[in-house]
Amino acid sequence: MKRLRVIEFEFGDAPFNMALDEAIMRSVGSGKSPPTLRLYGWDPPAVSIGYFQEIKEEVNLEFCHEKGIQVVRRLSGGGAVLHTPKELTYSFAVEANDPSVPQDIQGSYLKICAPIISALREIGVPASFRPVNDIEVRKRKISGSAQTRRFGAILQHGTILLGMDYSLLPALRVRAEKLAEKGAKDVAGRITTVAEILGKEVSHAEFSKILVRSFEDHFGAVAYSSDLSEDECIAPTLEERYRSIDWTFRR
Amino acid sequence: MERELVRKFKDGKLVKVKIVLEGGLIKDAKITGDFFAHPEEGIEIIEKELIGKDLCNARQAIESAIGGITLIGLRLEDLVAMVQECLDR
Repeated sequence: MKRLRVIEFEFGDAPFNMALDEAIMRSVGSGKSPPTLRLYGWDPPAVSIGYFQEIKEEVNLEFCHEKGIQVVRRLSGGGAVLHTPKELTYSFAVEANDPSVPQDIQGSYLKICAPIISALREIGVPASFRPVNDIEVRKRKISGSAQTRRFGAILQHGTILLGMDYSLLPALRVRAEKLAEKGAKDVAGRITTVAEILGKEVSHAEFSKILVRSFEDHFGAVAYSSDLSEDECIAPTLEERYRSIDWTFRR
Repeated sequence: MERELVRKFKDGKLVKVKIVLEGGLIKDAKITGDFFAHPEEGIEIIEKELIGKDLCNARQAIESAIGGITLIGLRLEDLVAMVQECLDR
């Protein structure tokens, strides 16, 4: 990979965030945009659910409504995630046949998570990969990713918990079976954040800078900041879908 | 008649199969959970393929639909077993 386009950190609401990931993916997949790393945050807070999940099983809708937490269905599979404004979210899109990303799913998760692990280690967080798609510190999850492959592209997006607003965790309905398996009593007990590990806050801007450099190293690419291309500005029309009841409640 | 089966697999993924039966045949099927399928539409194809099938030909329906689909966190065998158990009860 020669050049990596970076869409700099910005907060967005949930439907916008998911629509823009899709717009970028479509553009990259059709060869109109180069490989792209986008950094973003969620404001207001939101729950995103996986493509195959049943919304009423995963989300405490009443609590979300009360607290102003948005709910959005992702294009990617995987589990439900609570996104609070302290999280840094990334999305990484390449053409489906880009030689810098392995074709096998497990290998590709590892390849795209590697720069995140390096960046976390650089600031003193002893992170390691947990297959299939998590990054952990001392057995607690600090980052989770999900991939979708369509429109001629591979998109991987995921969380990096710089911090977390634990008071919003009741937004997720978590089954007892699932927690028992991972050896933790509740969700709060199986995640951790950069702020907790280091005992100080690391800003979105600060970590973004380190992360971009780490992606450059791992992909042997030169990163450059760029605006969205014209066809990526279709995000507002895609946004309609992510805001719609049909899409959100389809399962 | 509606039948539902929830199973958690050892890598932590949770899968739910919901089947609506009418006269011994599948009228509707839904496979939900936190697994991954590439391409995602593959799951919808399996669900459609199951409609009109019974216990005897459910496996074949899934197997014929699964070609080219990569599942992560959900094994084909487990999915077949869940559907059959739903029908068998």
